[in-house]
Amino acid sequence: MKTETAPEAPAASPAEPRPPARVLPVWANPRLGLLIVIAALVVLFSSLTPAFLDPRLTLAPLQADISVYVVVGLAQLAVLSLGHMNMAVGRMAALSTFAMGLVYDRLGVPLLVGLLVGLAVGAGIGALAGLLIAKTGVNSFVVTLALDFGLLGLVTILYTWATGGVSFAVQPSGLSALRFDTFADYCTGEVCGPRIPLVVPIAVAAALGVGLLFRHARLGREILMTGSNTVAAELSGIPTHRRIVAAHAVSGLLAALAGFLLAANNGAFSANIGESFLLPSFLAPVLGGTLLAGGAVSVLGTALGATLTQVIYKGLNLLQFSLEELKLYIGLVLLAALSLDRLRAVIAERRAVSTS
Amino acid sequence: MSVVLSAENLVKTFPGVRALDEATLTLTAGSVHALLGENGAGKSTLIKILTGVYRPDGGLLRLPGPDGELRTVQLGNPQDAQRAGIGVVHQERNLIPAFTVAENICLQHLPRRAGLLDRAALRVEARRCLGLLDLDLDPDLPVSRLSVAQMQLVEIAKALSADSTVLLLDEPTASLTNDEADRLYGIVRRLSERGHATVLVSHKLEEVFAVADTVTVLRDGRTVAEAEPLADHTREQIVDLMVGRAYQQVHLADRTVDADTEPALALDHVATTAGHHDVSLVVRPGEIVGLYGLVGAGRSELAKALLGLDRITAGEVRVHGRPARIRDVGDALHRHRIGYVTENRKEEGLFLDQTVARNTAVTVWRKLARLGLVRDRAERSLVDEYADRLGIRLASPDQHAGQLSGGNQQKVSLAKWLAADCDVLIIDEPTVGIDVRTKAAFHELIAGLAARGMAILLISSDLPEMVTLADRIAVMREFAIVGELDNDHDYDRMSQSVIRLIHDGQGVVA
Repeated sequence: MKTETAPEAPAASPAEPRPPARVLPVWANPRLGLLIVIAALVVLFSSLTPAFLDPRLTLAPLQADISVYVVVGLAQLAVLSLGHMNMAVGRMAALSTFAMGLVYDRLGVPLLVGLLVGLAVGAGIGALAGLLIAKTGVNSFVVTLALDFGLLGLVTILYTWATGGVSFAVQPSGLSALRFDTFADYCTGEVCGPRIPLVVPIAVAAALGVGLLFRHARLGREILMTGSNTVAAELSGIPTHRRIVAAHAVSGLLAALAGFLLAANNGAFSANIGESFLLPSFLAPVLGGTLLAGGAVSVLGTALGATLTQVIYKGLNLLQFSLEELKLYIGLVLLAALSLDRLRAVIAERRAVSTS
Repeated sequence: MSVVLSAENLVKTFPGVRALDEATLTLTAGSVHALLGENGAGKSTLIKILTGVYRPDGGLLRLPGPDGELRTVQLGNPQDAQRAGIGVVHQERNLIPAFTVAENICLQHLPRRAGLLDRAALRVEARRCLGLLDLDLDPDLPVSRLSVAQMQLVEIAKALSADSTVLLLDEPTASLTNDEADRLYGIVRRLSERGHATVLVSHKLEEVFAVADTVTVLRDGRTVAEAEPLADHTREQIVDLMVGRAYQQVHLADRTVDADTEPALALDHVATTAGHHDVSLVVRPGEIVGLYGLVGAGRSELAKALLGLDRITAGEVRVHGRPARIRDVGDALHRHRIGYVTENRKEEGLFLDQTVARNTAVTVWRKLARLGLVRDRAERSLVDEYADRLGIRLASPDQHAGQLSGGNQQKVSLAKWLAADCDVLIIDEPTVGIDVRTKAAFHELIAGLAARGMAILLISSDLPEMVTLADRIAVMREFAIVGELDNDHDYDRMSQSVIRLIHDGQGVVA
């Protein structure tokens, strides 16, 4: 039917050359670069200190840490897709884990139910941030920064009210398994699983979910289009306000999940959860090639970016750098990584331009 | 006349494309030189070589030295070009909105005293440059407060600020009204009387014939007419030179519209929060209704109000006879099947950093999605179908829209509405900045859509386009319809009636 309603194509003239596709070379792919840097660092650290390859003392905790920070990075990525920022990513995690601790403590709900309550709180507070940004038109940086400040006070007040301190003394059943167990502890007959902590599949599922959202889901694609050009998105029939609210809700939800994973790793639902989230939340996506400008995201890159930062952290930690030195070196390494990345992108872009 | 610039046999090759193939351009002092050619003919490449952005792979560039003798120069970067007295006004605006007029004009060579900005000298220099254009503009005004036309003139002042003897103007009137364009060309003529050589790149042949005296035509990177007096050529000859074959007349599909047909879109004494009042308009299936007016008359604003971006405060909008309250574009698209091809394709119509596939399918994801997920196969076949049907030249559907030529970009911004199966289409300035051949193809396309039963409201400031396409022409002035004319396709008679309507505001119904 469509073939009847549209006109014929005007004859294409052979004189006009087809525009060449602008494809960046393989080496300009930031994901590949990250993978090489990670591999090189693993080799370096394990040659300097064999303890780096200890499966139980180093590798299992490292995987658990990476899981947390992959999800933290995804929480930021969810709004970077719009060209927005979520400065309250850590405090959203804190408020959500408070809600989890509260329902475990007072209602004694199972692990999964508490998690769902916390995720709902995270999504709700994220949606609130999105609503404020969409309705007022105020910059997301300012709105979430103010929200972060407010939540900082709120979380402290809530913990004082509910626990008289800064932490819930609860251990819902299953939490310690998430904390200490790996699949190697579960055997069928002679066959045991690999030494991978139980939190890892949760982070993998989150990454796959976010990947599916932005690659194939209409919602994710419309969020990206809104990030690419809000005016054009609105004039193409995309309900941009609702997409902004949705992206921020996803960000809050992932922040809550990251908070839960960290609480599981620490074995405590405490007020300081999320304090260390803000910088890594930006590092992971940006190292992985996600633009701050919006319109494009890389989930795989975010996972690799989070892995890189945690590998550096773990390696320097094992080499017995002090906390101050650790921060100094991690800052330098990341600056170097970002500069190299930028340099590579610029060179690749120049080549691509000269061929178009 | 003395030669002020001579580019001889310039060659510039990009991998896979020979953008310039022995192109030649000779400029004499005091001339207004039209540089014409279709999109992709090499005009932009030539200008980029003259302004030091690209280096030529072959050929000579010669400029007069202090003694007046021509000598070969190398322009390594834009600063070199500026020092050599070549000023340029690009198609895209290059002013910093928050800076003042004076700061923008002198941006490349801000006067300094003891390391600090010398405001007094800055103002004097800016006044001098504005004086060259006989322009009375406060140099301390921030550029963001200027009108589009004033910004354009500031750009020219900026280009002249480095004592340029050669001025390159790339589509200078694309965003100007006719009056503003006339004023600009008055200034260009005065500059040429003072000995400046101006190169004018424009798709508007009427303007070219009104203002230029010599012409160079490029086709496929070669010079096919070199510095010939424009008076020796007719419009048709120039078009022939550009296109390279006898210019084919546009063949528009035949249409007959029954006046009794139920209108697809009807506006009945509509007023809006944007400021429209008493707007009545009817578009039937198969009909092209033109909405003509000067820039700022409220035409695009009417389209946007219809789509729910402004509120309708009085009167009634009917779609296929039923009263319609349209809340937003999604509502217009999905419930009423009304599409809007926007005026500024780069700002409002396209997602330049997204793929052509996504640009085309954005309006149909809702239909393509199963359980919220869009299948790439379905999307791709849709894009292939429309690329084929509209003649969009693609290396791949995964190409970014920003990499396409202007004409192809415009086709992509039309494709998304055709893909969405709209039956009412509001098309806003469809052929601005598009070359002659693509323009003709677009006119055939639009007429073809109407012939197949689509109702089209055509907004355009291009009067020849209106007279070619529209069945009726409604004229808007100051947010009201001042008259409606049946189009008899006689350009002279129609243009007179339309212009009388615009200037007198009296409803002369032909």
